Amino acid sequence: MMLWDQWKKGFDLWEQRTAEMMETVLKSPAVLQPMGNLLSASMKMKANVEKASAEWWGSLGLPSKRDQEKTLHALNQIQSRLIDLEEKLAALKKN
Amino acid sequence: MKRITNLLGLLSRPKPQVGVTPADVFWQENKWKLLRYRARPEGISHPTPVLLVPSLINRHYVLDLMPGKSFAEYLVAQGFDVFCIDWGTPGDEDRFVTFDDVVDTALGRAIRKVAGTVAHHRTHVLGYCMGGTLAAIHGAVHPEHLQSFVALAAPVKFDDGSLLQRWTNLKGFDLDALVAGTGNVPWQLLQSAFQLLRPTLPLAKAVSLIDRAWNDEFLDGFLALEAWGNDNVSIPGEFYRTYIRELYQRNALVHGRFMLKGQQVDLKNLVCPTLAVTFEHDNIVPGPSAAALIEACGAKDKQHLHLPGGHVGAVVSKHAAKTLWPQLVAFYEKHDSASLSLRERVRVRG
Repeated sequence: MMLWDQWKKGFDLWEQRTAEMMETVLKSPAVLQPMGNLLSASMKMKANVEKASAEWWGSLGLPSKRDQEKTLHALNQIQSRLIDLEEKLAALKKN
Repeated sequence: MKRITNLLGLLSRPKPQVGVTPADVFWQENKWKLLRYRARPEGISHPTPVLLVPSLINRHYVLDLMPGKSFAEYLVAQGFDVFCIDWGTPGDEDRFVTFDDVVDTALGRAIRKVAGTVAHHRTHVLGYCMGGTLAAIHGAVHPEHLQSFVALAAPVKFDDGSLLQRWTNLKGFDLDALVAGTGNVPWQLLQSAFQLLRPTLPLAKAVSLIDRAWNDEFLDGFLALEAWGNDNVSIPGEFYRTYIRELYQRNALVHGRFMLKGQQVDLKNLVCPTLAVTFEHDNIVPGPSAAALIEACGAKDKQHLHLPGGHVGAVVSKHAAKTLWPQLVAFYEKHDSASLSLRERVRVRG
């Protein structure tokens, strides 16, 4: 048990120092910049692929996934506005 | 010996039940729900309900983790009428849900619904992490239904030099490309960003697990917390765009430049009694980032509580039941009776 406790103390110290060191490394622009660039490039590519796919669907006269999402969102917005109106009417009735 | 048998039986160990305090759905709209916890058998003994506002990134049941480690259960046992928002899981169409939709419309509705259950039309609001930031923004524009406000590890000042702030302010970080490419910003991306805050944490957790595996109670709590930690939610893209651009990149909230549905958000208008709670070892929300609310808000009665512990452990542990939770209840009791007339209290109880 003593041996484990000693090892654990050493581990805790190592973990603390390694975490601090890694934080310094990860905060460095030399590391963050390429990570950010890579993420942005892959997202731009994904968005372009989706746009091309939507245009293809559109050329066939079919709604794209984005069109369907927009319609569903509009329905949710209408529902929300109706509830707003109900709330206002209920408040007027009370007064 | 128990340590070894517990470790060997870890995979076959029954999964801990999370979020089990009995609750009913009080209101539901799009994907979000307002839950109302069932009152204790003796009934409600406090005149003002409490609304818990969790973060959008994580599941709401962090505030109701498991029996004995549930803040919601504790509040119910103390005689409060407790509500909690479950933000739900956004569908693909919710990529267009904006910051205004969440903070002005949904949170506003939740606050009005809870306040509407009592004659004095006010509620205590407790926001945890991002939920606290959202509630502070809402409360600064619509303070009328707030009896008091508790911000639990909730960031309001974002120029804190943290990894997240640096990452989102990089020239290479293209927020618009991220939102256009993902729609709802995936939880995997958000979780990996949090893991970068302390990359050694999984290893430290594994050693801690071996160290305390003899303790069944610890093991159940550990597994419950892991279940919650791995049950994350993606964020609506439009909401994320405003959250990152206005808060992390422009730090607009503390400078009074943040806009909610066309209205300027001035934290000086948050005038109800306010308590900001920060934690010593919080590596997700640095203490000064959350404590800044106290200086920024306009409440006459404001308090800052700084406690030992981490971002999650200090809120849901057994230790929290002895330290944090009683202090929060004392805060509520103080601000329940102080501003309510006897007539109002009688009406509520009647």
